[in-house]
Amino acid sequence: MSNLHQEIKQMIIDALDLEDIEAAEIHDDEPLFVDGLGLDSIDALEIGLALQKHYGIKLKSDSEETRQHFASVNALAALIQSQSNNK
Amino acid sequence: MLSFKLQAWNAQAPGLESISDWGHWLEQPFPLSHELPKLSLKQIPPMLRRRFTELGRCAAGAALPLLEDVTAIPGVFASRHGDTPLTLSLLEGIADGEPMSPTGFSLAVHNAVSGLLSIARKDVSEVTAIAAFDNLIPHALLEAATQLQSRDKVLCLIYDVPLPELYQAYSPSEPFPFALAMLLSRDEGVDISIQQHPSEDTQSLSSDVLRMMRFMCGLDRQVHFAGKAHMGWTLCREA
Repeated sequence: MSNLHQEIKQMIIDALDLEDIEAAEIHDDEPLFVDGLGLDSIDALEIGLALQKHYGIKLKSDSEETRQHFASVNALAALIQSQSNNK
Repeated sequence: MLSFKLQAWNAQAPGLESISDWGHWLEQPFPLSHELPKLSLKQIPPMLRRRFTELGRCAAGAALPLLEDVTAIPGVFASRHGDTPLTLSLLEGIADGEPMSPTGFSLAVHNAVSGLLSIARKDVSEVTAIAAFDNLIPHALLEAATQLQSRDKVLCLIYDVPLPELYQAYSPSEPFPFALAMLLSRDEGVDISIQQHPSEDTQSLSSDVLRMMRFMCGLDRQVHFAGKAHMGWTLCREA
């Protein structure tokens, strides 16, 4: 698990008050919403806010692209890496 | 005059978790903690449980034991101040120029507790969220008893947490978190009447909550709520 992946998992746990969940319990390729971790639409908004705070990333809330970025920890890591490469 | 039957009730405050706890405490009161200990709320899945603030935990802790065998029931959710600790923290965030937490915002509305309970119980029955300055207790019961005209049972849930210190100079609040859940029924339980009548605007020595709890525990047969404009309310347990 890369440092970035670890960092994202901890960000999710802190932002969403997932007190009972350890970072190691979140799998890199597991769906974050509904089936996998079981997050809901308010969590998606909260993760959007956390991405903005931590990485300066702003996303459109309703685009199909955003949906793909939020699919898993792997997808979020790819998003953050691509944004930092663009800078 | 309006009558209803009280089928069951439950109340929650720090250290007072059963009807007998309340009875003992009302006879020999001692200061209660300002904070509610972490309730397990095992009936609620963890992913939803994290959304409950102290106000929600207090209200749910009182209501859920009454609803174990009830699949669907309309509810009257009454709180004088709502989740003021949460709304104050959001306002402070705005003042500091921070972006607002969507979760915090969604939970700051007055019907947040009823919404969470509705999701947790998968119960889509109608809910009514009310706030009242004076006489929250009789007004909540009036609303619930009125809804009994068209429903067999109604949940009436009254709850508040202490106001944050910043607000305490402007309005009274109980010094401890408190929730009273009552299951009103058309045909099962103790007969209770609720009546409005002319009343002097006298200041009672104890709070409405404490007098209501004495009435609930059977220590008093009646409880009076003095109102503004010379009209008050009386609840009476019928013999």
